[in-house]
Amino acid sequence: MSRIGVFVCQCGNNIESTVDTGQVASDMKEMPGVVFSCTYKFMCSSPGQEMVRQAIKDKRLDGIVVSACSPHMHEKTFRKASESAGLNPYKCEIVNIREQCSWVHHDTTKKIGTRKSNDLTRMIIERLKKNKPLKKINIPVNKKALVIGGGIAGIQAALDIADGGREVILVEREPSIGGNMARLSETFPTMDCSQCILTPKMVEAELHDKIKILTYSEVEKLDGYIGNFTVTIKKKAKYVDESTCTGCGECMEKCPFKADSEFELGLNKRKVIYTPFPQAVPNIPVIDAPNCVMLTKGKCGICAKVCGPGSIDFEQKDEFIEEQVGAVVVATGYDLMPNERFGEYGYGKIKDVVSGMQFERLASSSGPTGGQIFRPSDGKVPEQIVFLQCIGSRDEAKGVSYCSKICCMYTAKHTMLYKHKVHDGQAYVFYMDIRAGGKRYEEFTRRAQEQEDAMYLRGRVARIYERDGKVVVQGADTLSGTQVVIEADMVVLATALVSRPGADSLAQKLGIGYDKYKFYNEYHPKLKPVETVTAGIFLSGACVGPMDIPESVSMGSASASKVLALFSSDEMAREPIVAAVNKQRCNACWDCVVACPYTAIEKEEVKDRQGNVIGWNANVNEGVCQGCGVCVAACRSKVVDLAGYTDEQVFAAINAF
Amino acid sequence: MEAELREKAKELLGSGEIGVVIGFGWNKRKTRTTPVFITKAEDTDKLVFNAYCVNNLSVYLTRKYPDVKAMGKAAIVAKGCDIKNLAVMIAEGQFKRDDTYIIGMTCSGVGYKQELIEANGGELKPEIMPVKCHNCDVRNPHISDAVIGETTDFTPPEEPVGMVFDKIKQIEAMDAKGRFGFWEEHFSRCIKCYACRQVCSLCYCDRCITDKNTPQWIDSSAHARGNFSWNLVRAMHLTGRCTFCGECERACPVNIPLNVINKKMAVVMEDAFDHRSGYDPEVHPPMIVFDIENDKEEFIK
Ligand SMILES: Cc1cc2nc3c(=O)[nH]c(=O)nc-3n(C[C@H](O)[C@H](O)[C@H](O)COP(=O)(O)OP(=O)(O)OC[C@H]3O[C@@H](n4cnc5c(N)ncnc54)[C@H](O)[C@@H]3O)c2cc1C
Ligand code: SF4
Ligand code: SF4
Ligand code: SF4
Repeated sequence: MSRIGVFVCQCGNNIESTVDTGQVASDMKEMPGVVFSCTYKFMCSSPGQEMVRQAIKDKRLDGIVVSACSPHMHEKTFRKASESAGLNPYKCEIVNIREQCSWVHHDTTKKIGTRKSNDLTRMIIERLKKNKPLKKINIPVNKKALVIGGGIAGIQAALDIADGGREVILVEREPSIGGNMARLSETFPTMDCSQCILTPKMVEAELHDKIKILTYSEVEKLDGYIGNFTVTIKKKAKYVDESTCTGCGECMEKCPFKADSEFELGLNKRKVIYTPFPQAVPNIPVIDAPNCVMLTKGKCGICAKVCGPGSIDFEQKDEFIEEQVGAVVVATGYDLMPNERFGEYGYGKIKDVVSGMQFERLASSSGPTGGQIFRPSDGKVPEQIVFLQCIGSRDEAKGVSYCSKICCMYTAKHTMLYKHKVHDGQAYVFYMDIRAGGKRYEEFTRRAQEQEDAMYLRGRVARIYERDGKVVVQGADTLSGTQVVIEADMVVLATALVSRPGADSLAQKLGIGYDKYKFYNEYHPKLKPVETVTAGIFLSGACVGPMDIPESVSMGSASASKVLALFSSDEMAREPIVAAVNKQRCNACWDCVVACPYTAIEKEEVKDRQGNVIGWNANVNEGVCQGCGVCVAACRSKVVDLAGYTDEQVFAAINAF
Repeated sequence: MEAELREKAKELLGSGEIGVVIGFGWNKRKTRTTPVFITKAEDTDKLVFNAYCVNNLSVYLTRKYPDVKAMGKAAIVAKGCDIKNLAVMIAEGQFKRDDTYIIGMTCSGVGYKQELIEANGGELKPEIMPVKCHNCDVRNPHISDAVIGETTDFTPPEEPVGMVFDKIKQIEAMDAKGRFGFWEEHFSRCIKCYACRQVCSLCYCDRCITDKNTPQWIDSSAHARGNFSWNLVRAMHLTGRCTFCGECERACPVNIPLNVINKKMAVVMEDAFDHRSGYDPEVHPPMIVFDIENDKEEFIK
């Protein structure tokens, strides 16, 4: 016979107002196997927990049921209390009589609430009788981290992990780390030069003896589980031997062919053998294979001739590298909504309509114009410039429904940069609202309007067209209720920040979730902002959603602290809520194998004494299993069971209703 | 055709590679064919192939028959429709493609029930052929190690025809109550003999869920609740897997129209997943496959 204790919480008045907890306690006391019951105002308080511990000891309880709030809130609390009183923590069960009962019933006579609390508690008491004591599972931890994406978020995460003494592999898709921040001119709200604050970090990462940077590389595959991932990285052929290249740049100097520069967003050309920008890390050029005449037609090869150390290798092939890591930080950043989507604003047709990021390049001292604002069509200094905010953002119909969050700030920054460079020029901004929440942000946008002469017009632009070398902007100023026509020289569109193309397929490779815009999902948006549903994989930066540099850096550091905590011991304990296959009965049909969302089930050979394979069965890898129970549902003969949620437990609960 | 088949069987058994040839043989009075298990080259003359060969012999390759497995590597005489079951079994890991030698038989149809052919003087007329034969696209075996018989020339109708399809339309036209009544009436006859399960090569589980009693998942009483439970579980467990071979309905002693359930589920699967079972031994039946990349629904991603 069981010796079960039932603890019914009043939660102040949260539960007590519609549930007679005293009645529940005395009714439950009548159930077979229940030897103790009580109620208390706040069971989760220290005295409440002490009551639980005392009762376990005094009444020699072999199981407890706490009827209180959601197990999400205090399951841990009471399991800890049980453990410290010598009871196996998995012999403690929580019944939710608050969110699922008292809060949804308004009957102050307490009849309904009491009856339902009785039903719920009774079910869990019966379930508890079938609970087996469970032990936490210990799994070894490989103390090396993988960081995917070498933007500011990824660089920060890598540096912090490495400074914590752990090895890091930083994988970057482009020929250099740096990400979007490398493109920016000056940064709000302090207006320091982006490259000047970024490049020291890039160099620090390059020189750090714990960081291995793999550029021009992508994650091909990720297997395994927290503490024990195996990653396959595809390192694209650079056609340059990294071990001997000195970065002298002779090859780039002499290469006779050019292509559009991705880094400069089409505002400039680069050579076919190139580094994206002068401060690239690593400072090793790559050959743009589809545009290289040697690689495509077998002619030229000038770079190879001029290269002193003979580092050019036209025979180089893509390489696949396998690494064992214990944790992964995803920091793949963002992209901008392709401007081509906004035909009505003349993008693509009118040369002098550019994107915000292109404007950053025009304003950057290392950009194609050396930091002078020239308009692309004829190189004239624009005397009137119009900035349009919310292009694609907050526009369910044509773009995305969310706010891109940083455009208000960078547009204000752009008007200032413009004013500093074109003193007599006039900047106009069409906006919907100004959203400048953040330390010193409101002051910043005010400064643009009040001290830097930017003319802010609240309203939408209806049409943009070219006339006599001008870009005519027609819009409404909804505050004064007038139509506005501005004969501008140049227009800058603050296009929406979006996820990177292919963000979804990377998420699928990693087994993490994403929203309908393909931004990655946090485990909990408030309380677990850098964790994902897959243990051991963390998120940083704008791959989660639009954010600015301070936030990206914070997330990078936050992920690093999670990784370092994980790496602080050789083994990690995890919840024992995992599936197990009754191997004698398994039909080896592999339904569970194909059903498991976490690929936690493997096909296992059955061997006889001589070692001959005589059959197969499914086997759950405890380290990977997340306890979702999908396999239990999938198995036609019901030979998979989930510890802590066994069929017997579930049936016992149902039958008690 | 039979001579060719016997020759092949002789050769396979003679080579020592094959331990048993599973095929069809006559009963004593030559009014029915029954499964035969030939292990010696000199017995291969017992093998026959004709319109009586309606059985789907793939069931003998399941884990339900360890004694057949003990005979060594099997060669199985299989019509195109039987091969579909083999394909599903391979997809579900029940054996490897190389573990079984498939003797594919070209086919021009079989009788729905052997006694009907007998009543017809041994002749096969279209009226006594099952619906699957009228719509068959595998009269020339689609997966095999050897093909016996001349290539047959038959194009199934574009829109499938037959009683089963008429019945599906009829049931679809009913309201929920009518449909429930229809099945209630049929299922009420079920005597829980599990003949449908026994004859099905895709009901290969070592222990069927109906036999699991700790805890008891399926009510096993032969009353409305138990009968519904069993028939719904059977239908669901075969959804996306059943190849419409028709053996279950043929085996059912109380004539429950199982073909109608099976076909309806197959139609649903084709609509939802573009999947027809039994054509590709590499494709796991899609009902429970976790496959985000190819899922049509956006919400799940
Ligand atoms: C016009 C404009 C102006 C801005 N101005 C400011 C400003 O003044 N101040 C401010 O605080 N913020 C500003 N921002 C925002 C700032 O750019 C971002 O906050 C910051 O760059 C985000 O950094 P990140 O590392 O998350 O992403 P990113 O900078 O996008 O870096 C992601 C990196 O991951 C790499 N990557 C992507 N996918 C893969 C893959 N599959 N495998 C490997 N590598 C991959 C990318 O190549 C890239 O290097 C501005 C943004 C825009 C658009
Ligand atoms: S419980 Fe979920 S995660 Fe664990 S093995 Fe089963 S399907 Fe996979
Ligand atoms: S679904 Fe069940 S029978 Fe099939 S392999 Fe998995 S555990 Fe075994
Ligand atoms: S379904 Fe096709 S292969 Fe099967 S018996 Fe009929 S005609 Fe022959």
